[in-house]
Amino acid sequence: MNDLHAVLWIARKDLLQEARSKAVTVATVFFSAVTLGVLAFAFGENPLLMREGAMGALWVALAFAGVISAAQSWQADLEDGALEALLAWPVPRAAVYLGKLLANWGLMTALGFVLLPLAGGLYGADIGGGAATSAGAGGGGGETAPALVVAVLLGTIAAGTLGFALIAVFYAGLTANLRARESLLPVLMFPVVVPILLAAVRASNALVGSGDLDLAWAWLRLLVGFDLVYAVVCLVLFRFVVEA
Amino acid sequence: MIDAAARLRRPPWLRIYLGITLLLFLAAAAFGLLFSPRDVTQGDLIRIMYAHVSVAWISFVAVGLTAVFGALYLWRGKRRDDVLAVASGEMGLFFASLTIIGGMTYSRPTLNTFWTWDAKLTLTAIMVALMVGYFIVRGLIDDPVRRGRVSAVVAIVAAASLPFNYLAAEWFRTLHPAKSVALDGSGVTMDGTMLAVLLFNTFVAGLIYLGFMLDRVRLGHVEAALEEERSLAATRQAPMGKEVVRV
Repeated sequence: MNDLHAVLWIARKDLLQEARSKAVTVATVFFSAVTLGVLAFAFGENPLLMREGAMGALWVALAFAGVISAAQSWQADLEDGALEALLAWPVPRAAVYLGKLLANWGLMTALGFVLLPLAGGLYGADIGGGAATSAGAGGGGGETAPALVVAVLLGTIAAGTLGFALIAVFYAGLTANLRARESLLPVLMFPVVVPILLAAVRASNALVGSGDLDLAWAWLRLLVGFDLVYAVVCLVLFRFVVEA
Repeated sequence: MIDAAARLRRPPWLRIYLGITLLLFLAAAAFGLLFSPRDVTQGDLIRIMYAHVSVAWISFVAVGLTAVFGALYLWRGKRRDDVLAVASGEMGLFFASLTIIGGMTYSRPTLNTFWTWDAKLTLTAIMVALMVGYFIVRGLIDDPVRRGRVSAVVAIVAAASLPFNYLAAEWFRTLHPAKSVALDGSGVTMDGTMLAVLLFNTFVAGLIYLGFMLDRVRLGHVEAALEEERSLAATRQAPMGKEVVRV
């Protein structure tokens, strides 16, 4: 079995585990929905503030969901020595990381796609409407089709959740067998993912608010750059994370 | 048995170095407070800049070196590299905290607020959070080898995030149709004398960093030797067949 097969096999294993137990799905969907609700209550007095905060709330919910998802995926492997068996397998450590990363990224992207209309509805933000406004008024990026804006928005969600998943899976592996891991994982992770959070929120706001593809693209460049750099850094360093 | 008491005494050359550094620090403070010109717009308030900017630059160097020493530890596995990494990390955290305090002191009279989301200040705050995470992780692991490895990884990831954090924080308020004005006081063009005083202050801050590093590394070696001695003693006392405790 070559390395790519190993990566896909591990991703498939994690996704199958999730499909059967639904532990992560239930936890993340409900936690994200509760987060969106709580933030809606916090900012609900001002409808304009709520509409402009819709994407910010979405990304906060996704960030916390990423923490839960990554932590849970490692905990499941720590039971009954499954992780040691996995590490005893003659594949590179990076393959284990990539497999878990793919599984977590898939779950979080799916969650993001589900939360997007929810955030739009709860906060009164018209997801596709920004582009329609800009196209109708002839301003912003000129003729930006709503479908294109929504597609770029979905791409932003995928790029942002990739960044979260990269760091979350990495640090969750690091803290998996430490004491106080539940509180340590966000403490370690959030300062590192600040650029992702910032870039993703700004890009999403640009797309939803005014359909401004140029502004969104400026932030997307930072996002994609971060993803690329961290993919390399985490892949290279991962083997030091899981050594006994 | 190591003679901890003897090894804890500062060697004479270190005392001399620290003494000279103290004198140079007093000279730098005198230059900053007394012998440098006032600023055209900020008057005497600009003098905080000498303490704030110099310490900020050294804090970034210290955090960068923590990651470098960590990488060396991962590569070579010598305990000495881990000792250097911890010492540099402590200095980085200390100087970054001083930067924040200086920044808050600076922004209160100039901008009438204790905190601005200025790119550099935000970056320093994030760096403090990253280094605090580094030390929390170190505190949770008892095995020195694993501790060194894990904290090296944390330091490298943290240092790698700094350029991105800076870019994100820089664009945070400015990459937007409504531009905001960022005032960090140093300006692009600086009076020649002020630049000279700033560079001298930075040099002295670097000497202070080096002095603390030398002292801390000395202590770190004693700590490492003591730790090794204790773990050897514990192994000798442990009965046979005891299960291995993983951390």
